[in-house]
Amino acid sequence: MATIELRNIEKRFGETYAVKPFSLTIQHGEFVALLGPSGCGKTTTLRMISGLETVSGGTIHLDGANITWQKPGYRNMAFVFQFYALYPHISVRENIAFPLKAEGMAKSDVYKRVDEVVSILRIENLLNMRPGKLSGGDKQRVALARALVRKPAAFLMDEPLGALDAEYRESMRAEIKRLHLSTNATTVYVTHDQVEAMAMADRIVVMSAAEVQQVGTPADVYHAPANLFVARFIGSPGMNLLAGPRRGEKVELPGTGNIYTIPAPQREVLQAATPEGKNVIVGFRPEAAMLNEQGALTGEVYATDMLGAYKLLHVSFDSDTVVHIRCDRMVSHPIGARVRFDLDPQQVRFFDATTEKAIGPTQSAGTAPISVQAANAQEKAA
Amino acid sequence: MANFYETGPAKPVTESVRVDKVTPGARARHNIRAAAVILFAIIGLIPIFIMVVTAFKTRADVVAVPPKVLFQPTLEGFVFLLTERVVLPPAALAEKKQSLEQLDWMERVAMASGQTITGPSDYVRRLWNSVIIAGISTLISVFLGLLAAYAFSRFPIAGKDDLLFFILSTRMLPAVVVTIPLFLMYRQFGLHDTHLGMILLYTAFNLSLAVWLLKGFIDEIPKEYEEAALVDGYSRMQAFRKIVIPQAATGIAATTVFSVIFAWNEYAFALMLTSEEARTAPPSIATMLGRGGIEWSAIAAGSLGFLIPVVIVTFILRKYLLRGVTFGAIRQ
Amino acid sequence: MTSSAQANVSSPVRAEKPQRKQMSDMTIRNLFIAPTLLLLIAMNVFPLFYSLYLSFTNYSAIARKAPVWVGIENYVNILTDPQMWQYFNTTGKYTLLTVSLQVVLGFALAMLVKEKFAGSGIVTTLILIPMMLSPVVVGLFWKYMYNPSWGYLNWLMGFTNPSVAPDWLASSWARKSVPGLALFAVVFVDVWMWTPFVMLLVLSGLKAIPDYLYEAAAIDRASSWFQFWRITVPQVAPLLMIAILFRTIEALKSFDLVMGMTGGGPGDQTEVIAVNLYRKAFLGQWQTGEASALAYIVLIIIIAISNLYVRYLNRLREG
Repeated sequence: MATIELRNIEKRFGETYAVKPFSLTIQHGEFVALLGPSGCGKTTTLRMISGLETVSGGTIHLDGANITWQKPGYRNMAFVFQFYALYPHISVRENIAFPLKAEGMAKSDVYKRVDEVVSILRIENLLNMRPGKLSGGDKQRVALARALVRKPAAFLMDEPLGALDAEYRESMRAEIKRLHLSTNATTVYVTHDQVEAMAMADRIVVMSAAEVQQVGTPADVYHAPANLFVARFIGSPGMNLLAGPRRGEKVELPGTGNIYTIPAPQREVLQAATPEGKNVIVGFRPEAAMLNEQGALTGEVYATDMLGAYKLLHVSFDSDTVVHIRCDRMVSHPIGARVRFDLDPQQVRFFDATTEKAIGPTQSAGTAPISVQAANAQEKAA
Repeated sequence: MANFYETGPAKPVTESVRVDKVTPGARARHNIRAAAVILFAIIGLIPIFIMVVTAFKTRADVVAVPPKVLFQPTLEGFVFLLTERVVLPPAALAEKKQSLEQLDWMERVAMASGQTITGPSDYVRRLWNSVIIAGISTLISVFLGLLAAYAFSRFPIAGKDDLLFFILSTRMLPAVVVTIPLFLMYRQFGLHDTHLGMILLYTAFNLSLAVWLLKGFIDEIPKEYEEAALVDGYSRMQAFRKIVIPQAATGIAATTVFSVIFAWNEYAFALMLTSEEARTAPPSIATMLGRGGIEWSAIAAGSLGFLIPVVIVTFILRKYLLRGVTFGAIRQ
Repeated sequence: MTSSAQANVSSPVRAEKPQRKQMSDMTIRNLFIAPTLLLLIAMNVFPLFYSLYLSFTNYSAIARKAPVWVGIENYVNILTDPQMWQYFNTTGKYTLLTVSLQVVLGFALAMLVKEKFAGSGIVTTLILIPMMLSPVVVGLFWKYMYNPSWGYLNWLMGFTNPSVAPDWLASSWARKSVPGLALFAVVFVDVWMWTPFVMLLVLSGLKAIPDYLYEAAAIDRASSWFQFWRITVPQVAPLLMIAILFRTIEALKSFDLVMGMTGGGPGDQTEVIAVNLYRKAFLGQWQTGEASALAYIVLIIIIAISNLYVRYLNRLREG
C-alpha cells in the first residue's frame, strides 16, 4: 500500500512561487504523470515528494503518515534521475546492490535480490561493467534496477527518458510501463513530453506557470481540457481555438459567413455562462472537423502537411486565424482552394473568453470524479 | 527541536535545499563550516596583515621586542625605500628645522631621524626597470601570443598537440636550466644586464602562458562569426581584426594582467641575468637586507608594491584565476 | 580615396575594385605562428642544446679558456658525490612534504568552502591572495616573521623569551640545534603560499560534480564515508592530479622562496637542488659545465615525473 497525499503543498523562492499551493491524492498503484513545459514546477513538485526539496508550506503524507520533514532516504521511495545518477566508480552490480547494503541487508540476500531485478530488466550481461561504458538506455535500465531493488512504496521518476536518443526512448517507455504493471507500485512520473504522459499515465497533472491546470485521465485532458492552456498544450497540434461573439445559439467566428451553431445539449450551459454578444471560444481537435461541401464553416487552404497516415490541412479563416484539420491522406487540396467543413458536436468544447476556463464538464464521458482542487489563497488562510 | 520531523523548521523554507539539510543538526554543521572557513582565512591573512602594518612602522618599532601592536604610524619605510639620505650634523639639522614649512613630506619624514635626502634610491630606478620590462614584454608576448593562439585555434597544423605541448613545456623548465646558456649567449651578444635582454627573456617566458590562455578564449568564439564575415567578402585578416579581437577582449585583458603579474614577480632570471643597469625590483628587495643594516620597514614598504597590485588583480580576475594559474589547461 | 571610388564600394560590381592581393590562410597561419616559435626556439630550445653540450665540457664562464670535452665526467662527478645526494634528498623531502600537505589542506579547505554561505565568495578570494604574491617577497617577509627576537611568529605562539624560543631559520631551539627545523619552516611557508592553489583546482572539480549523484546517495542512504570516497574523490581526482603535477614540478625547481628565506642555510640544511645549481653556476667557482650537467639531471627528473603523472591521469580519465 502506498497512497501519497499532497496537502496544500507549495514552494516559494523568496516571494516567487515555483509551485503554487495545491492538493492531490495519488492512489496506491496509480501511475501519475506531472506534465508541463520547462519551468512549470513539475520537477520541483516531484522533488518535494522525494525530500530532495523542502516544501515552503503544506504537508506530504504517505499512507496517512506525515513525511514532510522526513529525510529523503527514509521515505521508502525510489527516485530515478534524468541523468541516471549511477555511481561512476563502482560496477553495475554494486550500483544496484548499493541501496540494500546501505540498509544493512545480509550480503547473500542482497545479491539474490539483485539477481531478481536484473532478470526482470534483462541486464544480466551488464553486471560487471562500469556505468561509464554503458549506452544511455542501459544506464537508465540500471538506474531502474537500483530503484526497483529496494521494493519501494513508490517510484518517483524525473524525466527518465529525457536524456535518451529517440531510438531508445520508445522501447524504454514500454519497459517502464510494463514494470509498473508488474510491480503495481505507485509511480509519479515527470515529463514535458505529452505523448509520454498520454501513453503511460493513469492520470495526468498538467502544470504551467507554477500552477496545476488540470488533473485528469489522458482522455480527460485530451478531450475535455479544463482551460485554454491545457487545450493548446495537449495534442500535436493543439486544439483549434476560435473566438467570436455569441448571438443567441450561434457564434460568429472569424472569416466571412462562419456562423457556428452551438449543439443543442450545450446551449443552456453556454447561454448561462456567457452574456449575449460577448466572446466565447470554440475549441475542437483537428480530427473533430469533417470536410463537407455543405459544411457551415469555411476557409482557404493555407498549407498542407502530408503526415503519412493522414494529411493535416492548415485552413485560414482570416489573416490571424488558421485552424488545423485532419483529413484523408488521399484527398488533395491546392493551396488557396476554399474548403468547407462541419464539426463533430460530440467533440466541440467551449471556453470562457476572459477566464480562459472550460464551460461545461472537464471530464471526458465515462470517467470517475477525481479528488483534486487547486487550493486558493482564501482556503489556505482559513 | 525534538519533533522537527513532525513540525519542520520554524520559518518556511524559501530557498532550494534538501530536507536533510534543514534539520537543526545540519544547520549547525553549516554554521560551523562557515566559521571554520573564516577562521582559516583570518589565520592565512595574518602574515599579509602584518606585512602591511610593518610598512608603516619606524625602524625602532619594527625590531621592538615583543612586537608592538600599537604604534605611531609613519611613512619612514617608504621614504627609506625610495631615497638616499645622509645624516645631518646637529647644527645643520637645527637650521633646517627653522624652514620646516618649505620642506616636502619626504624631507620631513627623513628629518625625523636626523637625515636629509640626497636623491632617489637605486630602488626607484629598479622599480622603473620592472615597469618597463614587465610592461613591454607583456605587450609583445600578448601580441605574439594572440597571433599564434588564433592560428592554433583555427587552422590545421601538423603536430598541433605536440607543438602546443612544447610551448607549455618551456614554461615548466627550471629557470636555472635555461639561464646558464642564456647567460653565455647574452654575454656574447652584449645583452647581459640590458633592458632588451630582459624584455626578450620575459616575452619568451610569458609567451607560453599567452598562447595557452588566449587559445582557450579564442576556442570559445564560434568559428561561424568569422565564416559569416568571410562569406560577406571580408578577408581573413579583416575578420581577425574586426571579429576575433573584439570578441576576445576579455581574454586578452586577463592574459595581459596575468603576464604583467608574472613578470612583475619574477626573481630567478633577474637575479642571474642582471646586475645593475637592468636589475628589477624583486632581486633588489632581497639585497636590501645586506646593505647598511636591516631595514625591515623599507622591505615591508617595498613588499606593498607587490601586494597591492596582486590583491586588486585577484579580485578583478577571480573568475579567470583558475585559468591563469593553470595556463588555461582548466576552464571553469 | 576619391569620392567616386567611395561610391563604388556600394556598387555590386566588386571585381572592378582594384583587388589587393589577399594572403592565403596558410600564409597567415605561418606568419602568425612563426614569431612565437622562433622566439621560443631562440630562448629555450637553442639554450637547451647549448647547455647539453656544455654539460659534457669542463667550461667555466669566468675562465678565459675554451670548453674542453670531458665526456660524462660531470655526470659521474655529480652522481657519485654524497653531498649532491644529500641535496637531492633535501629537495625530495621538500617536495614530498609541501605537496602532500598542500593536497590534504587544500582538499579540506575546498570541501569547507564548497557550500556557499554569506560572504563565501569574498572569503574564498581572500584565501587565494598568497599564491599570487612574488615568492621572493613572501620569503623575505616570512624571514622577518620567523625572527627569533622581534618576529611575530614566536610571539603569536606565546614564546616571550628568545633564549628558550625556537630560532626557526637557524634550526635551533632554545640555543640547541634542531636539524630540519629550517627546512620545516620553509616548507611551512610554501604550504601557506600554495595551499590556495590546490584548493582552487579542487574546488572547481567539486563544483563540477553533478548534484544528482549526491541526491541519489541521499535517497540510497549512503554514508558520508561512501559519498566522500566513492563520489567526491574519484570525481575530483583528475583535477587533483593536475594540481599535484603542477605543484610537484614547482617544488622540484623551488628557488625563490628558499633564496628569500635561507639562501640554503643554515649550513646546507635547506640547500635544495635549484639553489645549489645557482651557486654552482653563478657563484664562487662558476662551474658552468658541471652546473649544466646538474641542470640536465633535474630536467630529466622533472620530465620523468611529469610523464608518470600524465600516464596516471590518462588512466584516471579512461576509468
